Amino acid sequence: MSRLKTNHIVETLIWLTFIVVFFVYSFEFNQEIEIYIFGATGWPRVILGLLLLVTLGNFLHLYKKGSEIQQGRVGITDEEENISYNSIVSIWKLIAILCLPLIFAWSLKPVGFYSATPVFIVLIILLLGEKRIKWVLGIALFIYLLLIVLFMVILNAPLPQGNISPFYDFSAFMLTLNTNLHQSLNF
Amino acid sequence: MIDNFISGSAALFGDPFTIGIFVFGVIGGMLFGAIPGVSMLTLAAILLPFTASLEPAQGVMLFAVIYCTGTYGGAITAILFNIPGAPENAPTAFDGYPMTRKGQSGKAVGAAVLCSAIGGISSALIMMAATEPLANWAISNIGPPEIFALVFFGLAVASSVGGRTMWKGWMSVLLGLLVATIGQDPVGGINRYNFGFSDLAAGIAFVPAIMGFFAVSEIFVQAEKKAVGKYEAPKMSLDFPTMMELWTHKIAVIRSILVGFFCGILPGIGATLAAFMGYGEAVRWSKNKESFGKGNLEGVISSETANNAATGAAMIPLLALGLPGGAMTALMVGVFQMHDLEPGPMVFYNSPDLIWIVFAAMFYANLSILFIGIIETKTIMYLLKIPFQFLAPMILLLASIGSYIGRGLVLDVIIMFGAGIMGFLLRRSGYSIPGIVLGIILGKIGEQNFAQGMQMVHYDVLEYLSRPICLLLIIAGSLTLITGIYKALSYSLKS
Repeated sequence: MSRLKTNHIVETLIWLTFIVVFFVYSFEFNQEIEIYIFGATGWPRVILGLLLLVTLGNFLHLYKKGSEIQQGRVGITDEEENISYNSIVSIWKLIAILCLPLIFAWSLKPVGFYSATPVFIVLIILLLGEKRIKWVLGIALFIYLLLIVLFMVILNAPLPQGNISPFYDFSAFMLTLNTNLHQSLNF
Repeated sequence: MIDNFISGSAALFGDPFTIGIFVFGVIGGMLFGAIPGVSMLTLAAILLPFTASLEPAQGVMLFAVIYCTGTYGGAITAILFNIPGAPENAPTAFDGYPMTRKGQSGKAVGAAVLCSAIGGISSALIMMAATEPLANWAISNIGPPEIFALVFFGLAVASSVGGRTMWKGWMSVLLGLLVATIGQDPVGGINRYNFGFSDLAAGIAFVPAIMGFFAVSEIFVQAEKKAVGKYEAPKMSLDFPTMMELWTHKIAVIRSILVGFFCGILPGIGATLAAFMGYGEAVRWSKNKESFGKGNLEGVISSETANNAATGAAMIPLLALGLPGGAMTALMVGVFQMHDLEPGPMVFYNSPDLIWIVFAAMFYANLSILFIGIIETKTIMYLLKIPFQFLAPMILLLASIGSYIGRGLVLDVIIMFGAGIMGFLLRRSGYSIPGIVLGIILGKIGEQNFAQGMQMVHYDVLEYLSRPICLLLIIAGSLTLITGIYKALSYSLKS
């Protein structure tokens, strides 16, 4: 009897779509290489073929055994337990936690590291459940200063500066401060 | 050898400035290895321009010391936070982090300190005794076909570790291999799967992928637990393992030294495959296979011994052949070139002083892991006391900076967080994150050596298999796969 659930079918469909998209896209670079008979597509297409076979094998397992763990498997942690959500708020909170770092990353190019970081720290601490505003602001300031001192002042690491005013101007101001500090300390 | 070692030691400790560089390398490597989000590579990349003002021996020695201590330092974050400091520390997290969750972080870190030192010292001694004969052996016996065969064997072993089913183990490795095809193909330089992003032509960098799949996905897993009220803070412990406990794993240590050294000596392979193979062999020979991944001390011991055993071995192809075994040794080539030197066989004749200062420094750096490592570890362990909501943004930001400064691309930060979300979803569905990461790391090496190997044997498979090392590794890998297919099919079809 089948032990398939909707999420198993969705999982398999996602893999199949992924394989099809990558296979179709491989025609974009289907060029011959004079010194190599398998060309640029040989290796990825073999991987895609193997991936298709094991996806079908995985579907067979899901069909017969559902989500059951194969006996004798090595290196599986105990943490993959079922997590049940008791409220819609928890789900939205998780979605926000997953999306916020991506939004932060997207914002680095236009806004820059120096302006985006403090906002990111405050929001993520709040999303992770800290309610004491003084602590949130205090820790955010501490982390921000620590990163600035370590990467900007000590290591002089080039960080994204942004390309939109006034964020770019703020980054320029920070870098000028750093240059002045280095000059005054004879770094 | 002993005379050379003594003269190398005298040169190292005879000059206060050189001692200062050595101490800086030891502490810097450990700290950068142990700070979540940055790694020894970050430090090395930052220091590279400054080595121009040093003597060549001092510059190469500094990087070699950072390599030894940084490889150990990365184990601390792998154990405490599930964040490997470098790819070679990834298998350490498999059992180290579950040990932390069980309140055995002290034991795991203590074992990592001791075994890193043992692996590193053994490797340094073998390196000193046998660099030239081993390099000669490697020149005549190891080529692209053998390296591909080793990658094939390594991937076959990796797919049997992690993942709820064998199918998911394979799917994880294949996904990693596919991700590794993004960017230019290694033979013709043709752009593949860049999806309109010109920055993707350079491919997916290891650091953002590893940070995303391990560190960021771990933050998301813990954040999810916090969101549903199931979060439990990891317990801190300072109980180091007893000598008796470590003695019971002596065979695993010896095996991992051999595996680590063998993998380290192969050009292009380095410590990463060494750590995975060391871990895989520990699982293969264990009577208690199911306990791996759930906090088995032997998992930490095998991985950490093997990756440090590879550090000395990785210097052999670098110094004797001029071939870097990994990212860190590639940066060392940069140090040589900044001083108009080329690493290779001539270095032994033209600059023997340089060679022996480096060898002596690596020996002492590994020795210092034992002493400084224990003191440093006891301090770093207190990081576990920081509440998760304050530690998480710190880790995410350090990981972002670590990903960005490698190539200066915002895209790498986006890839890291994307990999984090993907890793979070794949972990929940029972896929193997280490399998994906190993696939990404070995994919390009595998493809490049397969292509070169095939060209070497004029696409004649029989000629390929007539090479004894190739044949042995291909048979071993195939047997692993066939056994896996049989087990997976018979289990899935059994009603």
